[in-house]
Amino acid sequence: MNAKDWKILLVDDEREFITTLAERLELRGIPARVAFDGESALEAIAAEEPHVVILDVLMPGIKGLEVLERVKRTNPLVQVLLLTGHGSTRDGIEGMRLGAYDYMMKPLNIDTLIEKMESAIDYAKKAATLAGKTDGQ
Amino acid sequence: MRDALFMGRVTASATHELQNILATIRESSGLMDDLLAMSSEGFAHAERFKKGLTVLAEQVERGMVLTEQLNFCAHAPEKSPAGADINEAVRALVGLSRRDAARRKITLVLAPGRTGLRTSLRAVEVMDAVGAALDAALVALPMGTQLMLSVEEQGGLGVVRLDSPGFEALRATPAWGNLAEVTAALGIGVSAGPGGMGVVLALPRPAA
Repeated sequence: MNAKDWKILLVDDEREFITTLAERLELRGIPARVAFDGESALEAIAAEEPHVVILDVLMPGIKGLEVLERVKRTNPLVQVLLLTGHGSTRDGIEGMRLGAYDYMMKPLNIDTLIEKMESAIDYAKKAATLAGKTDGQ
Repeated sequence: MRDALFMGRVTASATHELQNILATIRESSGLMDDLLAMSSEGFAHAERFKKGLTVLAEQVERGMVLTEQLNFCAHAPEKSPAGADINEAVRALVGLSRRDAARRKITLVLAPGRTGLRTSLRAVEVMDAVGAALDAALVALPMGTQLMLSVEEQGGLGVVRLDSPGFEALRATPAWGNLAEVTAALGIGVSAGPGGMGVVLALPRPAA
């Protein structure tokens, strides 16, 4: 799958951070939607079923790990990359236990992020094949 | 203890915010870098711009290291059932003490030590004791020298070693009294390093 066909959702209440990250991904030909809280992230995931969700752990309202749990119940093939800080690596590890594909610490290295997204999409494709489900692409 | 835990919670929250600030600065400067790479031809100040962006990236890296160490300090008063990781505590202390040492023109070097060694103490107690030894060493060492610290295992105990100056010179410093008091209160053994150089702090083993 070409990067232009990836469906990426970025979720963080740090608006400047996440919109700038989306812009940088788009400059590299990767379309990315943004959500600024857990509630709107869940709505976007239900409506668009993105391939990968980049999800901040610490947000007001519904926390990142709760969003992750709900996503894994309703859309298990959606891969989630968690964003943590140095003080919240425990959340990253807990997130992996709950089904997150991986976690990354802020500030991000965009090349590493893209590598992880590609790897998560490959994993999702294999998982979909195993589950007897195709995404039609 | 309550005070330290309270200040730790406040500091942890602030370091999280600082990480968000640094992340935003990194993405914004990264975006400028991306745009510059796409359209630098004809831009008279492209080189100056690139230099500025490189400085920004370096300062973000510097800030990241500091916030990581501060975040460690924020959690250092917390009691962990597994005990404190000695190497992590010493690494955070050394990182945060570099500036103080540099004022005396002394370079701190943390040897790549044994990882995973633990003690029954809290991380803040390890930092307090090693910090007291560091205070004494920084007073006794001549300017322009290097001070090596290492974390090792000796006889089943986690030890922190400062390799200079001489043990007797350390004992003669005004800071020795504080080191003696802290180590006695925490049950830390204090002895001279090999050949009478430096000081070795033997930390209590973690609870089984």
